[in-house]
Amino acid sequence: MNLINRFYQRKNYKISGLLVVILFILAFWKPYALIYGIQRGSLYVLIALPLALSLGVIGILNLAHGDFLTLGAYLAYWICIYTGADPLLTIIPVLFALFLVGYVIYKLAITHVLKASPLNQLLLTFGFAMILEESINFLWSSQPRNIYVSYASTSTTIGSFTFGTYEFIYSVTAIIILVFLLLFLKRTRMGQAAFAVGQNSRGAKLVGIDVERTYLFIFSLSIAILGIVVGLMLPRASIFPMVGAPFTMKSFCLVAMAGLGNLTAIFWSGIALGYAEALVQSFKGYGGWADIVFFIVLIIVISIKSYRRQIL
Amino acid sequence: MKNWEYIVLIAIIILFVAVPFFTGPYILHVTTTILTFLSLALSWDMMLRTGQLSFGTAGFFGIGGYTAVLVYLIFNMNPLLSIIVGGIFAAIIAFILGFAILRLRGIYFAITTLALSGVFMVIIKNLSNITGGAEGTILPSAIFNGNPIKIYWLTLVIAIITIIVSELFQKTKIYFAITSTRNDEIVAKSSGIDIFRYLVFVFVITSAIQGIIGGAYAQQYGFVSPESTFSTHFLLLPIAMCLAGGLYSTIGSVVGAVLLGIIAEYLKMQFPYGHLIIYGVIIVLVVLLMPRGIAGTIKDILKKRR
Repeated sequence: MNLINRFYQRKNYKISGLLVVILFILAFWKPYALIYGIQRGSLYVLIALPLALSLGVIGILNLAHGDFLTLGAYLAYWICIYTGADPLLTIIPVLFALFLVGYVIYKLAITHVLKASPLNQLLLTFGFAMILEESINFLWSSQPRNIYVSYASTSTTIGSFTFGTYEFIYSVTAIIILVFLLLFLKRTRMGQAAFAVGQNSRGAKLVGIDVERTYLFIFSLSIAILGIVVGLMLPRASIFPMVGAPFTMKSFCLVAMAGLGNLTAIFWSGIALGYAEALVQSFKGYGGWADIVFFIVLIIVISIKSYRRQIL
Repeated sequence: MKNWEYIVLIAIIILFVAVPFFTGPYILHVTTTILTFLSLALSWDMMLRTGQLSFGTAGFFGIGGYTAVLVYLIFNMNPLLSIIVGGIFAAIIAFILGFAILRLRGIYFAITTLALSGVFMVIIKNLSNITGGAEGTILPSAIFNGNPIKIYWLTLVIAIITIIVSELFQKTKIYFAITSTRNDEIVAKSSGIDIFRYLVFVFVITSAIQGIIGGAYAQQYGFVSPESTFSTHFLLLPIAMCLAGGLYSTIGSVVGAVLLGIIAEYLKMQFPYGHLIIYGVIIVLVVLLMPRGIAGTIKDILKKRR
């Protein structure tokens, strides 16, 4: 099964557009759910974009993606505790640290399974996921940790609604990273090389692109971007060893919804998923069911794709 | 198989049946645990032989456990029968799920099954009036009133059945169907193999086995809770066992399970919290350095000698 890379695929725009229209209709029905949904969904987008990038270019699904997020979160947390720095300032050191982690993991492991069967690739990243989860649990216990900063609980009142505004930083950053990635893939030499490698790695090699170096850079970049995400998350979220793991599955759900390589559609899919979850949560007594929404969406998407006989 | 091989096999089975008569309670407990994980590992390997990677082991194990405990409590069912019901329920879920996702295979299948145990945990926590929610449910008494020898025999029977099913998969025409599917789907399809039907069939059978193991495990301890019943333990350890022993064969999983089972017991006493890290390391190292596992590597060496 070839992982065919199709950046800027047009076909899914219609579906995404329809979703947006539905969102606006529902916005009048449950406005709080829309606000929380956008905030939550933007976070999903932030985490799913790098996963989509590495899956699209390298063709390896990194099952440890969410656990690298956890690792970054703990790094940021300890930097805050030891230096007293503002969580947002940890973005820069954590970004570089995670880039280095990605570099090392690629050099030590990923590069050796590029030609292996997809089974071995999945098992390898699963092994890394387990090592990360269990090591973090072992080193820093499963106790949740928080960092309090006053600006994280700012809120705005419009009419009769009061809602937290900090989380809109996710949406802004998601758009910035999306635009950055699109420009990177279109305009820079490395980005164009990555685009070509993603479409046909053998052809890219023939025209003189250093495929190995491109893979290395994209894999490290996909993990480094998580450093930005954890810096933003830290003021609002509790950190515990399993904080990142569910995001791997949700990110994959978004990639499946958007179609591989379609970065813009990931944005809309993320908002849609976040909104769907927030909507489920807004019903009293049924809030706990929000965590399986992504699974139902994933099953529906897979059923539709298998009906159309599309292969990722 | 030659005649002497049958004799060895029967001797091994008699030896295992007789284990409770010449060992203490601790060794018996360890052997029971190893047999449980052996069956889990083998059922995981059986699915892998089709070329599909399932991470649903812990999920179906947990479903079987919960179903067995709940039907026992609600309908007052015979515990042995409840274990079978657990297996049947896991099979039904595998059938529905397999029907939806096995047409698109590969990473879709892997990640959907990986999500399973988390999804079931959420469902069980939310149906708290039936399942006991996050605290779990405790049975008034364990199966056979907690008699360890009978529990051991029950686990042994399940392990033997799993080994027989695994050998049937290796010896009948299913073997050719799933092996050719794993090696090259297009060739398999053009030779007239209905890939989808075989995949669903194997998925349902292996999930049923995992459900039965889960049911027996839950009845053995008389206790289910979301965190412990759906623990990653029941996924990580079987995978590490199969990889260490060698994939795609009965003997590989058995060797891996016995070896890692003994090591696991030792590690659990030495490092009560961190021992799961080691299984992750084993998975990574085996995939990178020894993709054919211990049994496979020994086979290779023997072949070279000849």
